[in-house]
Amino acid sequence: MSAVLGVSAYYHDAAAALVVDGQVIAAMQEERFTRIKNDASLPFHAAEACLSVAGLNADDLDEVVFYENPYSKLERVLISNLRTFPMSWKQFPLALGAQLGTKLWVLDQLAEGLGVPRAKVGFRSHHESHAASAFLPSPFEEAAVLTVDGVGEHDTTVMWRGQGSELTALGSLEYPHSLGLLYAGLTAYCGFMVNEGEYKVMGLSSFGQPRFREQFDKLIRLSADGSFELGLEYFAYMTDPALGFGPKLEQLLGPRRPVGRPWDLDSAEDRRFADVAATLQQVTEEALLGLCAELRRQTDASALCLAGGVALNAVANARLLRDSGFDRIWVQPAAGDAGAALGAAMLGSVALGDGRTQLDTMALGTAIDAGRGQAVARSLGLVAERVDQPANVAAELLGRERIVAVANGRFEFGPRALGQRSLLANPAGAQTRDHLNRLVKHREPFRPFAPAVLADRTPAWFDGEENDMTPYMTTVLDVRADKRDELRAVTHVDGTARLQTVRQPASMMRGVLESLERRTGSPVVLNTSLNGPGEPICATETDALGFFVAHRVDALLLDDVLVTRP
Amino acid sequence: MSRLQTLRELVGHFMHRQRFVLAPLLIVLLLASMLLMATSGLAYVAPLSYSIF
Repeated sequence: MSAVLGVSAYYHDAAAALVVDGQVIAAMQEERFTRIKNDASLPFHAAEACLSVAGLNADDLDEVVFYENPYSKLERVLISNLRTFPMSWKQFPLALGAQLGTKLWVLDQLAEGLGVPRAKVGFRSHHESHAASAFLPSPFEEAAVLTVDGVGEHDTTVMWRGQGSELTALGSLEYPHSLGLLYAGLTAYCGFMVNEGEYKVMGLSSFGQPRFREQFDKLIRLSADGSFELGLEYFAYMTDPALGFGPKLEQLLGPRRPVGRPWDLDSAEDRRFADVAATLQQVTEEALLGLCAELRRQTDASALCLAGGVALNAVANARLLRDSGFDRIWVQPAAGDAGAALGAAMLGSVALGDGRTQLDTMALGTAIDAGRGQAVARSLGLVAERVDQPANVAAELLGRERIVAVANGRFEFGPRALGQRSLLANPAGAQTRDHLNRLVKHREPFRPFAPAVLADRTPAWFDGEENDMTPYMTTVLDVRADKRDELRAVTHVDGTARLQTVRQPASMMRGVLESLERRTGSPVVLNTSLNGPGEPICATETDALGFFVAHRVDALLLDDVLVTRP
Repeated sequence: MSRLQTLRELVGHFMHRQRFVLAPLLIVLLLASMLLMATSGLAYVAPLSYSIF
C-alpha cells in the first residue's frame, strides 16, 4: 500500500489531499475547518481530516509532497526584489522576512506538525503540481495541458504534453509577465479584493463593452507564438505587495474604484468599470486562445486540460471550447492553489509506482453527522425530524418557492458547491434572486446565480449539451431563448448560465431534480453555495445549523434530517 | 536537526552556477536573520546588533 499526502499552503487557499494506492481518498481546504475564508496557513486540520477519512495515521504516510519548491521561490523573490531595487525597498524586508523566517522552512514545519520524519517530506514544482492536478485525474490518456496563474516559483504560464502518467513541459512564461497578475491588478483597480473578486470582474464584464482595447494594448502585448508581455510600468506588484496596479494605470484608464462603494450600473462611472472588465475579459480570452493555438501546434492533441487560477474563468473556458480547436476540455474544478495539493499528491503517488485514476466526484471532504445535527438543532429549539425521502421533501419545498439549504454527505473540494453544501431555490423567480442576494448572500446585484440541471435534459433548456466541464460548473452555456423566463434567476445579463449538469446516480441533487421535474415539469434548480458573505462554505452539521439560524432560509436538510423553525 | 536538511538543500540549490551571484546576499540575510532571532531571546546580544545595524 502507498499513501501520499499533498499539501498547498502559505499563499492562499491552503489544502491537503490524500491519495492511497493511486485512488484519491480525500481532499479538503483548510478554510473549511478554521472558518477563515481562503485560509493560507499550513493545513493541519485538513490533513488530519484526510487521514481520518482513510482510517490512517501520519505514520502510515509514505510521502508528504508540498506543492512548490521553497528554494526556487526564495530565489525568485530575491531576484525580483533586487531587480526592482530601490523601488522595492518597502517590500524587500517584508518579503525576505516572510521567506527566511517562515516559508523557507515549510518542509520542516510539515514534518514537525504532522509528526512524520523530515526525510519523507518533499516537494514538486508549483506548475507541475497544477498540471498534474489537471491531467492525472482527467478522462484523457493523452492531452495538451495548460497551467496559468499569478505566479509559482518563476513560471506564470506553462504548456505541457500529458501522456499516460507523464507530463512533459513544452514551454513557459516567467514572472513578472503573468495573465493572473494582470487579472488581479485590474480586479483591485475595480475595487474588489484580489484572489477573491476575480469572479466578480468576470460577472461584471457581461454588463460592459470592450471599448478600452487601445489602452489594453499598452497593458499586454500578445505575440503570434502565444506568448505575451505585460506593460510593467502600469503595474506595481513587483514593488508594492498591497497594490497590484500603479499610478500609470489610473492615468490610462481613469481613477480606480473606491473599495466598498455600492454598485450602480446605470451610472456612467460604474459603466466605465464594466467596460474595463469587458475589455479585460476579451483580452484574457484572446491570450488564452493564443496559448492554446501554440499548444495545438506543438502537441497535435484533441483534448486540453486546464489548471491554475485563470482556469476558473468559466466564460473564457466556454470560449476556448468554442474557438480553440480542441474537441474536449477538462478543467479540474479546484483549479486554484488548493487543487495543486491534489496534483502534488498524485505526482508522489505516480512516482511510487501507482497508476492514475479518473476523478468522478468532488465530494472529497468529511461527511455530515445527521444524528448529531438533529440533537444540536433540537437543543437550539429548532424542529428537527428524520424524513424518508429527503430529495422529495426538498423538491416539494422548492415547488412552493421556498429556499432550502442542503448539507448532504461529504463536502466538496474546491470553490464550487455541487449539491453537497448548497442553497437551493426556484430558478424562475426574480424575487428569489433578489431575496438571496440582499438577505442571504449580500452580494453585488450584478452577480448571477447558477442552475443545476439533469444532464439528459440539458439541450431542452440550454443551447448546447453536457460537456466535460459542465458537471463541475467550470464553463457556461447559453440559456435557450424560449426558456429565459423560466430561468430568470439564473440567467446572466448576456443570456448565459454557469450550469451544473447532474448525472451521478443516487446523488441527492439528482433526486431533487427528478422529483422537481415530476412535480413542476422543470428539472432545473438554482444552486448556490451554502455560506454567508465572507464565510467559507459550510463543512460540518454545526456550520450548516449556524448558517440556518443566522440567515432567512426556510428549511435545512442535514442528510435525511429536516430542520425548520418552530 | 531536520532544519539541517533544509539548509543542505538550500545550499545545494544555490550552488548551481547561475545562482552563485545570489549566495553572498543570501548568506548576509541568513546571518542577519539569525542574529535578529537571537537578540529577541538573548538580552546581552542586543547591544551588539544595535551597533551593527
